[in-house]
Amino acid sequence: MKPIWRLRPRTAIPHLRNSAQSQFTALRYSPVPRTYTTTNVLENLYDVVIVGGGPAGLSLATSLRSSSVTSRLRVALIEGLDLDVGRKWKPSGESYSNRVSSLTPGSVGFLTDIGAWKHVQRNRVQAYHGMQVWDGVSGSRIEFNWDVKNSSTIAYMTENVNLVHGLLSRLEELGGAQLIDKTRVEGISFGEDHGTLDLRTWPVVQITGGRKLAARLLVGADGANSPVRTFAGIESRGWDYGRHGVVATVKTEDMPSVERTAYQRFLPTGPIALLPLPENFATLVWSTTPEIAAQLKKLSPTDFVAMVNSAFRLSHVDIAYMAKMDGGISQEYQWRQSVTPIDSAGVPSTVLEVQEKSIASFPLKMRHADSYISERMALVGDAAHTVHPLAGQGLNQGIGDVQSLIRTLETAVQTGKDIGSTLSLESYYSDQYFKNNLMIGVVDKLHKLYGTAFPPVVAVRSLGLRAVNAMEGLKSMIMKQAAGER
Amino acid sequence: MNSLVLRPVIRRTGLLRDLPKAFAPQFAPFTSLSRPPPNYEGHVPLTVPERGLLAVGSAVISLLNPRRGDLIAALGEATATPYFIYRLRDAMLSSPTGRRILKDRPRINSTTMSMEKLRKLPDGTVGREYVAWLDKEGVSPDTRSQVRYIDDPECAYVMQRYRECHDFYHALTGLPIIVEGEVALKAFEFANTLIPMTGLSMFALARLRAEERRRALTMYFPWAIRNGLQAKEVINIYWEEELETDVEELRKRIGLEKPPDLRKIRAELKAQKKAEKTVRESVEH
Repeated sequence: MKPIWRLRPRTAIPHLRNSAQSQFTALRYSPVPRTYTTTNVLENLYDVVIVGGGPAGLSLATSLRSSSVTSRLRVALIEGLDLDVGRKWKPSGESYSNRVSSLTPGSVGFLTDIGAWKHVQRNRVQAYHGMQVWDGVSGSRIEFNWDVKNSSTIAYMTENVNLVHGLLSRLEELGGAQLIDKTRVEGISFGEDHGTLDLRTWPVVQITGGRKLAARLLVGADGANSPVRTFAGIESRGWDYGRHGVVATVKTEDMPSVERTAYQRFLPTGPIALLPLPENFATLVWSTTPEIAAQLKKLSPTDFVAMVNSAFRLSHVDIAYMAKMDGGISQEYQWRQSVTPIDSAGVPSTVLEVQEKSIASFPLKMRHADSYISERMALVGDAAHTVHPLAGQGLNQGIGDVQSLIRTLETAVQTGKDIGSTLSLESYYSDQYFKNNLMIGVVDKLHKLYGTAFPPVVAVRSLGLRAVNAMEGLKSMIMKQAAGER
Repeated sequence: MNSLVLRPVIRRTGLLRDLPKAFAPQFAPFTSLSRPPPNYEGHVPLTVPERGLLAVGSAVISLLNPRRGDLIAALGEATATPYFIYRLRDAMLSSPTGRRILKDRPRINSTTMSMEKLRKLPDGTVGREYVAWLDKEGVSPDTRSQVRYIDDPECAYVMQRYRECHDFYHALTGLPIIVEGEVALKAFEFANTLIPMTGLSMFALARLRAEERRRALTMYFPWAIRNGLQAKEVINIYWEEELETDVEELRKRIGLEKPPDLRKIRAELKAQKKAEKTVRESVEH
């Protein structure tokens, strides 16, 4: 047991020279331009430093600025890439980005609250109200459909760049947050004791150009290989799925414009999903083996389109065979679809073409950090967890983190606590960790359950799925859960 | 206590109300009075209970009278679904030749195969052996009945193909069309194609004489199981293209050993018995 008085310097809260008022003082943002070469420590003291300018980092910055409680905190955001790409985004109606996320009504509600959703280009966002998910081996399926009178949305398909653009516009409107882009984090260390200002427990981020930012709270929104997480010494555990996600933007046959449906088929190599975008565009996410992913990227556009149509319609044996063919896939598809019984109501509209240069792939992983917090540090989004994309929950989990973290910070500010102490951050971790762990676990088990064509397993999972599909009560419970109702 | 927890869950999720609805339509989607139209020419759609009845009935009668080829065929169709015929079709879909067969859907009968041409092929070729078998056993390729009880047209074709190729399997293995040879070949087919009827045919062992049964169990079954599993799927042989191939070469290509010659063994045993008998008779005199 350490004597209690020894604890005082450890929880050191910096006492600024003029801090006569409360124990907690927000570092006010000064509109006077600063020179970054200054050695003045105070100039580079921030309440919150966010590393990473992706959707999670930007929504945290936006919500910090938009909340009346936290708006007096001094916020900086560091991003390695050029934020102007998102800021000056000029969309064309003829093409859509292949990086699209599905935002649940819960996430959109939060984005509306922080004022970012009104800056998102709504004509490029596609809501969908129905979902069809089926077993690629047995064909048993589950259908989610909100009835017409209660036409709630399951999710909103939004280009990531559209969301980033909306968040940046909102940040600009709010002002106050310091966005430092095209700048890399060179290193993170703890601060020094400056006599009157003890920064020994404060993380100090050194960025390109030698400038050092000291943070009362350092937030890692810096992706799966988070440097902040490494500095915090938090282990991230999990495994690689040995699968790649192939994404592409495609154009389909005309779809009924009112009711939009998302389709997902579980093949033994991984699920394939087609999610609606405005007009007759759709976004494809196909999780498959690295070999098939490489093969898909080599195919001619005609054969790629035939392969996608096959993947939703033909037997998994046909798909496995055709994925190894080097050409003539579209003729093979013509023959096979003529002898395969297809229920046209249960499959997406025929894909007609694939948008040029939109085919890309990335490896799929499952990771979960042991903790989201440590003294003066917190992790949000992919830095804390990476999930298989089959449930489309990756970005929603990140936004859920931000939502929870901002609530935690508001409470800390209101009760006069130090926002960086583990004591204040504890509720963020306890709120989010188990929620995310459950989601990651369920998605992981689904991936494994459907990753086989072994007949007894197929029989049992098909019975189960059919039973769940018959139970309207259970289904609406699942849907409410998935929609992230608040 | 349990019911206190479970009851609201059951009510809220509609377990009791909705669950029967999920499975009933699949079990019996129609009655015999409202049979849906056929999926292909000659098709007779059956419900699950009807299919079960057909399987049991045809199994019993064909065991009593193994010459009822029509019932054995019906048994084959009634027990091929679910799963087994799909598995065989998938085996074909995974092989380039199998896919070609499914695409062309060739039929084997006396109009598509000219027996005259086959007889002119050199000795030892597949076609020659095949026609020799037909001639020796006095059967024709037209004796195979039409598939009727398999719902999927493509799977029905696979069953038809298996049936029409059966005589080629005799030619390939050299097993004769007597109950003993048939049982050995069926055991091989079961290990190779997994069609349940071929496995059920093993009940025909009961009809064999003790000595024949011993021979089947000790000599032919080990051969059948080993070869059925190690050889490539025989359903994927495009017989129409192999007519001029040497049988020995084809056996080697698919990894099949020639079984002991049943006719020769039987003839030798018969001669031996006859010799013993004459010896016995001469001693008695």
